[in-house]
Amino acid sequence: MDTTQLLKGVLDLAVLAVVADEDGYGYDVVRRLRSAGLEEVGDASVYGTLRRLYSSGALTSYVVPSDEGPHRKYYGINAQGRAMLAAQHKDWQEFAGTMARLLGEEGQR
Amino acid sequence: MNVVNGIGLEDVAGYAAAVRARLADLGREQVEDLTDDLEVDLADALADERHAGHGASLVEQFGTPEVYAAELRAAAGLAPAQAAARTRLRDALGAPWRALVTVLRRLLGELRGLSWWAPVEGFLVALRPLWWVARGWVIFELVGRGTGLHGSQIVWVPRDLATGVLFVLCVVPSVQFGRRRWLQGRWQRRLAMWANLVAAVAVLPMIGWLQGQSLWNQTYLDPVTYSAAPGDGVWVDGMQVSNLFVYDRDGEPVLDAQLYDDRGRPVRTTTDDGSAEWWFPDSDEPWSFVGRADADGRQRWNVYPLQGAPSSRFTFDELGNRRLPSGTEPLTPPWPFAKAPALEASGHDGADAPEQPGASDQPGASGQPDAGASPDGGPAGGEDDGTAPGSEAPDAAPDGATGAEDATAPDAPGVTSAEGRPADAGPQVTSP
Repeated sequence: MDTTQLLKGVLDLAVLAVVADEDGYGYDVVRRLRSAGLEEVGDASVYGTLRRLYSSGALTSYVVPSDEGPHRKYYGINAQGRAMLAAQHKDWQEFAGTMARLLGEEGQR
Repeated sequence: MNVVNGIGLEDVAGYAAAVRARLADLGREQVEDLTDDLEVDLADALADERHAGHGASLVEQFGTPEVYAAELRAAAGLAPAQAAARTRLRDALGAPWRALVTVLRRLLGELRGLSWWAPVEGFLVALRPLWWVARGWVIFELVGRGTGLHGSQIVWVPRDLATGVLFVLCVVPSVQFGRRRWLQGRWQRRLAMWANLVAAVAVLPMIGWLQGQSLWNQTYLDPVTYSAAPGDGVWVDGMQVSNLFVYDRDGEPVLDAQLYDDRGRPVRTTTDDGSAEWWFPDSDEPWSFVGRADADGRQRWNVYPLQGAPSSRFTFDELGNRRLPSGTEPLTPPWPFAKAPALEASGHDGADAPEQPGASDQPGASGQPDAGASPDGGPAGGEDDGTAPGSEAPDAAPDGATGAEDATAPDAPGVTSAEGRPADAGPQVTSP
């Protein structure tokens, strides 16, 4: 099964979780998602999601000057983002439990 | 760190630009918002050892810019690109150009169907390098004039180091572009095509304008050219002469002498037909001259000395021409000398005069040394009696001739003394 299709539905949640853990810049978020096992995540999808979450007010953004390279835009979570994360987390757990039960029952047959 | 695993940052910039181009319909602000870290992110990804497609090309790693842009757009919750919206501006700008290209292509297609076109096209294609140079030259002219490097000069070809360098900088890229060696990048090509169009439109007006400027300069600014082709008139010592004064063999002033050149053309000092004002020594104000009517009623301007009056005494008629008011007689300008040196009287008259063509029609003159009239009619009458000048000369001659003894003396000096010319000028000159 193509996990990219599954990922689409939960990318917001995954990104919020990563940023809630620690502020991060674009590719940093991509890397952490991949480290966590979401290897299929697309760079552009993550950047687009960050931008959309920022626009909707779930994330804050600030620029960190760098001595060596270009400045980087960091994203951090705010109260609204945490609320969104909590709600989606709950939804996901319910959904995942439903799926687990469904699959468990299927498997028991 | 300019190169990451063989993929240069230029590639990243190009890729990012291509992605941005696919988002252009979103508006500049939103595109910046979406992609302000794009280069950094791409470079980070390239530098990351653990990246899935490490070492591969940008397109292999991230997909085509189209795919990347679509993904970014979808993830950001934005509507997918609409082909129409994306190219609306470009359509509006490019429509006339594309229409022109379409028409030209169709025309070329039809021409290629004609049997005589193939050699013509071959010929034109062979002339292409000429156009490359001409194109460079037009750009050279435009840039040189635009930057003020040419100044007010007409610069057909480079004249100094600066214009020479500019010329090379314009012509060499033009030729290299024509040879498809230089300026082959996407934007460079576009720029070069515009330059090509500008040059094509400007080349003929440019040549025409330069030609006109050169002509203008030759006519109005170049004194050498001007003095080399003086036109009509008599010049003495580099100065145009306004009037001529004739003295007979005894050094007496001759009135109403008609002058012709060796081809029988009237010798005119002035060509302004009385409209101009002339200064001469010993006059306090400029004079204007009037023509003399001949027996046929034609105005003659080769009768010397020209008569006239101080310009202030003239009035203007309805046509704006200078006229002496009725009742005012034209005056003879002051003579340079009341009397010129007399010629050596002996020898000439008896022996040589009969041989001269002029002397033949004045047999009496040769016998009378005193009659100053004869030389007068001689030169004017020239070769034969029947011509108009010849027949007039005797008429005019008696006037001056009879006066040569007595009457002329009061006549001519009368004017000269009025202008302050001392009467003793004559003796001074004649004394040797």
